[in-house]
Amino acid sequence: MNTKFARHRRRGAGSWLVALGVALALAESALAADNDIPRTADGTPDLSGIWKVLENVDYDLEPHHGREDAPPGRGVVEGGKIPYQPWALEKRAENFASRHVLDPRLKCYTLGTPRGQYYPEPFQIFQRPRDITILYQFGHSVRTIHTNGTKAPEGGNRLYWLGDSRGRWEGDTLVVDVTHFNDKTWFDRAGNFHSEALHVVERWTPIGPDHIEYQATIHDPKVFTRPWTINVLLYRQKEENFQLIENYCFTHEYDEFYPLPDIEELAVLPDGQ
Amino acid sequence: MRTEAGAAGVRRNLWLATTTSLLALASGAADAQTQWDTTFEKVERGEWHGPRLPDGQPDIQGHWSNTIANQNNFTDPQGGIPGDPTGVAGGSAADIGREAAAPPRSARAPSRVSDPPDGQLPFRPWARAKQQELLANFFEPTRPEYIEPLARCAPAGPTKSLYWHGYEIRQFPGYVLFIFDSGSRLIHLDDKPHLPEQIKLWNADSRGYWEGNTLVVDVTNNNAKARLARTGEFTSPNVRIVEHYIFDNDGQHYTYEAVYDDPATFTRPWTVTIPARRVTLDTESSWHNSTEPATLPSGEVVQESVERVCVENNEGHGEVALPSK
Repeated sequence: MNTKFARHRRRGAGSWLVALGVALALAESALAADNDIPRTADGTPDLSGIWKVLENVDYDLEPHHGREDAPPGRGVVEGGKIPYQPWALEKRAENFASRHVLDPRLKCYTLGTPRGQYYPEPFQIFQRPRDITILYQFGHSVRTIHTNGTKAPEGGNRLYWLGDSRGRWEGDTLVVDVTHFNDKTWFDRAGNFHSEALHVVERWTPIGPDHIEYQATIHDPKVFTRPWTINVLLYRQKEENFQLIENYCFTHEYDEFYPLPDIEELAVLPDGQ
Repeated sequence: MRTEAGAAGVRRNLWLATTTSLLALASGAADAQTQWDTTFEKVERGEWHGPRLPDGQPDIQGHWSNTIANQNNFTDPQGGIPGDPTGVAGGSAADIGREAAAPPRSARAPSRVSDPPDGQLPFRPWARAKQQELLANFFEPTRPEYIEPLARCAPAGPTKSLYWHGYEIRQFPGYVLFIFDSGSRLIHLDDKPHLPEQIKLWNADSRGYWEGNTLVVDVTNNNAKARLARTGEFTSPNVRIVEHYIFDNDGQHYTYEAVYDDPATFTRPWTVTIPARRVTLDTESSWHNSTEPATLPSGEVVQESVERVCVENNEGHGEVALPSK
């Protein structure tokens, strides 16, 4: 567990927790978390719900001051810098210079992993014993994290936008190996990128009823000098009757032609016409 | 479509519309003999005796596909698209309803319109004229609105999604989730109100409940951009749809029955009926259910979906992730 977030959570946990007594107050923080995260019938943490990042992560994973197209951000990369190989740093700079055109999100393409988790639109998690389904509001993507012990297809030559996700529970943390990526997605709007060698290891740790620590470690020996890690906090959408609203944004370029441009005019004609 | 890039998009989409249509027709012709049923038995509403999920819902999860035809033709599902230049189905736009393809109409699957009894949509005259115009321009679209939006990777809409490609249903406490090759539909089983009416969506907004073996769904907030078939049938954005998904206790079939109420476009409400069957790894011939086997640690083999993309690949629907270079 990322202790930084855990400390905040404990401070804000409220006086009722104190009233539970000295023994609990002194207990290991993990135990306190045990008691207030939702669980399924068999005791597995239940990640179900609608989640969204609060921080402006998608603009740039690295620390940056405000600029024309991005609010400032403290950065979410451990150590502050993505360890690019020299050639890749140049490529990132090219991406950055052309980000207004090249960012795949502008075409509403599937955002990929981990970007789907910190893009500033909500996503909904559904949980079954055999898998976890993530429905993203942005675009048309539905992601499946298999948690039934199946393995990624061996020698499979398909390259996915979301990757092939196989997860397992380690205590209260869902650890997911994500492999079989294509090289077409970006990590953010600043042009941070990867190759087909990408391997993401995610750690999803609920730290209370309404927060999930999301950690992703990025392995890609073709682009980076070593693995690197980001930490993001996900918040539950608690607004009354909140729901995802489909956003098939790739249709915007032709939305105007449907329904038929003149349908409303025609439909008000009196009967029989 | 206001920019140069947009113009390229139109060209691309024209290509897509034509190519995918022709491909589908070609394969559809072969499928008609090998894959599609010409008749079906309607599942009746009643009790559910099959397995249930812990929250009480009938457990109907898995992969499903319609049994008679794709979206080529709404009222004559196995009749091809009138005006098809390849001659597969023969006829022109004026030949709707004519027995242009072999086998004869009486030997082909019935209209998806089960009410009115004549199998035809009760279009108002202006709407019938529009539908005919769309059909007449399907193969050689000269205006952007003549391109069937599904050919541009758009979602297929609530009903057409069920007779286009195969799809998966997953269930969770309070929800039924349909995962299509193009988009998804989340049926909310709680009492949440519908979205505000100003919000219009390709796959609409759905509220449902279970009644015995039947999932009843109220569908509103439809943007009416999706069409019902390549033959040009459409509704207005004010359409209200009440769906019944009636599951057979054998767990292998269900019948979809939906009443469309749209007074601006039709002279009376009408009913669409679609037969569906379960698709497993053993199903001999599935209709674009892209599933693959995966092995559990116990050795049991389970069925998994493959990621579907469309707009990303600039290829037709049904394409799965690209192979590595």
